[in-house]
Amino acid sequence: MATSPTTVVDQLLAGLHLPDGFDAVAGVIRESLAHVTNSAIWTRYGQQSLEWLIGMNPVDRLFMLSALTLLLMLLLGRLRSAGVLAVLLYGAQFAALLSTDTLFGAPVAAEVRITVADQSLHWSYDALSWFFAMITIGAAFVTAWYAAGSWMRRYREAGQSARAFHVALALNCFGMLLLVGSADLLSLFLGWELVSWASFLLMALVGGPGAQAALKYLAYAISGAMLLLGGIALIYSIGGSFEYGAVVAAIRGMTDVQVWTLLLLLGGGFAVKLGLLPFHLWQAAAYAEAPGAGSVFLGAISARMGLFGIIVFIVGMIGVSRLMTLEIPYTFMSSRELIAWIAALTIIVPTYTALQQHDARYLLAWHGIGQGGYMLLGLMVGDAVGSAGGLLHCFNYAITQAALLMAVFAVVHRTGTADLNQLGGLVTRMPLTFLVLLFGIISLAGLPPMAGFVSKWMVYRSLITEGMPLLFVAAVVGTLGTILSVYKLIHNIFLGQLRVEHQGVAEAPLSMLIPMLGLSALIFLAGFIPGPALSWVAQVQGQLGLPVVPWVLGGIVDPRGGLDMIWLVGILMAGFGVGALVFYGFGGRSRRVHQLDNYAGGHFLTADVHYQYSDNFYAGLMHLIGPWYRGAFRWLERSLAATLDLVSFGAEGLYRVAQPTLLMLAAAVAMLAWVF
Amino acid sequence: MDWLSAMRLDALAAVDFHWLGLVLELMLMPLIAFVAGLGLVLMLRKIAARLQRRVGPPLLQPLWDIIKLHAKETQTSHGLIHEIGIVMAIGGYVAAVTLLPVPGMNGLAQQGGLIALLYMTMIPSLGLALGVGQCANPNGSIGISRALTAMLAYDVPMVIVIFGVAFHFGSLNLVHMIAAQQAGGVATWGMVQMPLLALAGLFALQGMLGKQPFEIYVAPAEIATGPMVEMGGKFLGGLFVMQCFQLYTGGALYVTLFLGGGEHWLTFLFKVFVVTAIPMTIAMVFPRYRTEDMVRLFWKWPTMIGLLGIAFVMN
Amino acid sequence: MTHIDQVPTPGAPLPVEIGVKAGAARTNPFARVFDELVRFAQSRSLFMLHYCTGCGAVELPPAMTSRFDMERLGIQPMVSPRQADILLITGYVSVKTLKRVILTYEQMNSPKYVIGICSCTVNGGMYWQSYATAKKLNDYMPVDIYIAGCMPRPEAVIEGLRGLIENIRTGRADAWKDYYRRYDYYLGNQQRLFGADWQTSTDVIAEARHYDLFGPATLGAHTALLEQHQRPLEALEMRIEIPELMRRRSRSDQDGTAQ
Ligand code: SF4
Repeated sequence: MATSPTTVVDQLLAGLHLPDGFDAVAGVIRESLAHVTNSAIWTRYGQQSLEWLIGMNPVDRLFMLSALTLLLMLLLGRLRSAGVLAVLLYGAQFAALLSTDTLFGAPVAAEVRITVADQSLHWSYDALSWFFAMITIGAAFVTAWYAAGSWMRRYREAGQSARAFHVALALNCFGMLLLVGSADLLSLFLGWELVSWASFLLMALVGGPGAQAALKYLAYAISGAMLLLGGIALIYSIGGSFEYGAVVAAIRGMTDVQVWTLLLLLGGGFAVKLGLLPFHLWQAAAYAEAPGAGSVFLGAISARMGLFGIIVFIVGMIGVSRLMTLEIPYTFMSSRELIAWIAALTIIVPTYTALQQHDARYLLAWHGIGQGGYMLLGLMVGDAVGSAGGLLHCFNYAITQAALLMAVFAVVHRTGTADLNQLGGLVTRMPLTFLVLLFGIISLAGLPPMAGFVSKWMVYRSLITEGMPLLFVAAVVGTLGTILSVYKLIHNIFLGQLRVEHQGVAEAPLSMLIPMLGLSALIFLAGFIPGPALSWVAQVQGQLGLPVVPWVLGGIVDPRGGLDMIWLVGILMAGFGVGALVFYGFGGRSRRVHQLDNYAGGHFLTADVHYQYSDNFYAGLMHLIGPWYRGAFRWLERSLAATLDLVSFGAEGLYRVAQPTLLMLAAAVAMLAWVF
Repeated sequence: MDWLSAMRLDALAAVDFHWLGLVLELMLMPLIAFVAGLGLVLMLRKIAARLQRRVGPPLLQPLWDIIKLHAKETQTSHGLIHEIGIVMAIGGYVAAVTLLPVPGMNGLAQQGGLIALLYMTMIPSLGLALGVGQCANPNGSIGISRALTAMLAYDVPMVIVIFGVAFHFGSLNLVHMIAAQQAGGVATWGMVQMPLLALAGLFALQGMLGKQPFEIYVAPAEIATGPMVEMGGKFLGGLFVMQCFQLYTGGALYVTLFLGGGEHWLTFLFKVFVVTAIPMTIAMVFPRYRTEDMVRLFWKWPTMIGLLGIAFVMN
Repeated sequence: MTHIDQVPTPGAPLPVEIGVKAGAARTNPFARVFDELVRFAQSRSLFMLHYCTGCGAVELPPAMTSRFDMERLGIQPMVSPRQADILLITGYVSVKTLKRVILTYEQMNSPKYVIGICSCTVNGGMYWQSYATAKKLNDYMPVDIYIAGCMPRPEAVIEGLRGLIENIRTGRADAWKDYYRRYDYYLGNQQRLFGADWQTSTDVIAEARHYDLFGPATLGAHTALLEQHQRPLEALEMRIEIPELMRRRSRSDQDGTAQ
């Protein structure tokens, strides 16, 4: 096959199914490419490597590009332009992903096999892998872009190593790609460990409270890995093979006790990463204290690796129907209900913990834990709409959380604080960031017309049609708590009184603004036209053997109550149009007044006295439920935290040196060597 | 099927669609809701007046109020979000009422359903909350914090009721619910079939409409009407318009879920007015609860009644 | 700081131009009908803010409740100045209170009406000799209706309100415009009482400019005095600074030289 960049671009463009009008654009791209291809360097090296790349199978290509990213970041991460290079490389990875037609709901399956020390490692990409790989690479892409400009300059100025950051990000991405493509237990464990240590690296980069939290995470991650290892050993001892095909057969032949053990071992291992109750305590601080852009990446996708494990093993291999037959002795519950209730509690407890946070980063990180509960809950309901909702929420949540964290870190970038009591009124100074945060919170709270509404609607609907009233109420209570705390978030940062010291604050720099705005556009589009994302989810469902959701472009068709977002968003926009007509069309001209021209019961307001309500925002509610935190939640947290502190104290003593991150990396390699 | 071909199919399906009728419905439904809402506001004030042995306002008082407020010659705005908030508050309800089937008009009820309607009605609250936030007045912010807490309180029994009703009818589709209720006369009405849920729903309705024992978020003497503190002129006028929609939506939703919807306009509006009159009458003989007491109350009695109702429905 | 004695005395009050309807020049019959409708709605829907100074406030509850029921006239109480049409001053106004009254008045949206209830608001009443009360309310803000009496009965209050309604309906109740047109005069009286550094948080002059309510006596010696010390009161406009890109480049250049 005669391959040149021109033909590759042609293929890509053909793959995108662009309308005819784009021919001109394509022409320009081709022309500029022709300049490159005619150069001497290109004919010497470029042509060859491109042919090589094209000739590969898609998984090889993806791994190759991802490893190349890692290598280049290791070598060139110190350079000023490394950020831009990283964006390009992640872009290339995304292009490699696109070439498999993932975006159009017909991903190709492909596999790689290598043999190390008589044991073959096997990776195979199917619809599920592509789905998660797409979120991962997408998250890495926007994160890299966000970090490429002003943010990284500030990061360097603070004395941090840009290379370490780039390497950590690339390593995370690489590890996740290995993990989501794993097709046997060994490659799974390899990927799992790589992801765990890579995310540790990203968390611990800046030291301080972040490193503390990262060490805590480490204690959890190690115990989770041990559980996972135990599960793998159990499967191996029964099935005698690491291959997934054999694993499925082995699980089918297991007794109930064995399945229970497996469930506890694997489930426990994955639950740690996902941050399910009661293993959620590490996550908020670890994600919130990571360096800004790193936090965006971690928040968007990292914890979902745990969900990925649960999907593959518990939903895919054990199966929801098997879970339903596993009764818990002396109760009416089956293991499926147990997991569903764990998911429901994971929604409620962290969400209401988020409500109490004073730090925007922590608030969002706690919500991240809570949103994981919706995904698991949807999957545990197990019907077509519910499981689709759970899977779809992975994607919707990833774009939402990334946008939200980006907006918050943009505010931190400009004002230097994420303390919700130290901000306010920034909407006049950072209107675009406000817009991004607004789209994000609407989506996170699950209100129309944003993406989050669709996936949450699907989870609710399945809970209703499957007749699970208490879980439904729990899910809605979680959503209501989310609405409360995200309003506090946007109010305390952007609304209310602008503080004197923030009068001169400027909008976020363009390098940060572009990925933010891009993501918010995506949030809206994924809500307006959920069809594409649903088509990916439907593929995943088909591959996992779940009932497939009856999707259309606008949502779901179902005689028992469907959802058509195109209509809903359309009517909402029309409604806003009518509202605007009523407001702007009739009545006198309005005049903007200064924020101190305000009702204060006849009091004369001055700039030196804050006239802002931010602290203890839900005082009335806290009167009632505050003691519950101090009682039940705190007790649970304290006891777990005390145990953990003990463990992390031990770990800390072990690793207490000047360069903990490097040592950790070394330890990771050593441990991998030991494991294999 | 990949989604590109789905897009083409959708476009094809859109061609043979009764556009004109639908567009007419989408315009008429909010208009009717508004007019009915004006009537409901008048009824609210008349009931209050009569209970206090007063005459009360004249027939067109709600309309005069709105015209007057819009006609104010100076209008104080605190910025773009303050204005957008009002637009969202009106617009959200204009959209929401098209999801609520009325006699002879289904609007978009087939495309949305009960949960979509419930969440659509949160858009105005969000808009209002944003608008109030920009006013930079802590009284307003306190009001919103209380209003959101109130929402957390009454939505728990509310969603229990919604679950029970949806489970009972085996559908989230409001059109189906109405059809099922009208099939067998009063005996198939939701109220008869699910009396406990109907009771819990009435409780939740009281909170949803923000009427007296549960209007701590307005608390005029304490936080100067909370969210409305900086709203003057057409800003307040917009909120009055929103209130019309809110009363109508609350009443009509209850009628749709429990009173068999409307066979025709006369009975439908009659039911809506009767249903809405109940919370208003109760409201006028009560002082108000503190926020936490309100939450406690809602999470106790109506929730218990609702759960009991679900237990009956599911067996 | 200008001493209070150096504040120039405002000239004799110009005749208040009540009854001169600015929109009277409308010739389009539809516009006239529309104006009629709006004026009718305005007269039939009055939200009042009762600033309960002095003793007169006790006469309001009977006027509002079942005995006399103001609501049948479309009058109802409101809470914040933004919502209100009528500012009801119900008795003597001490100097300290007057500051708040003026602040409140300026925060109300026009058209706005002031009603002085009780003789104390007319001429100081029995507090005439008090050093701590303002004597004539209409020195400090335009008053639409005075309801005299010590204190006036609810019937009188209702009667006064009916008079105001009639004035609004016929377009004669536009005293509020006078505050913008002769702001200098009112401000002068306020400065004489409160000192030269007197300022509220409302920018009346900018408002008059915005709404085209400027008159020959809006500005004068006293507004000049105000401008000397006025805190800036421009609204915080939304700002998007995309040229940030340029600044970034220059900053990184500086970085380059520093290294
Ligand atoms: S006029 Fe009489 S009743 Fe009124 S405030 Fe003066 S002293 Fe009091």
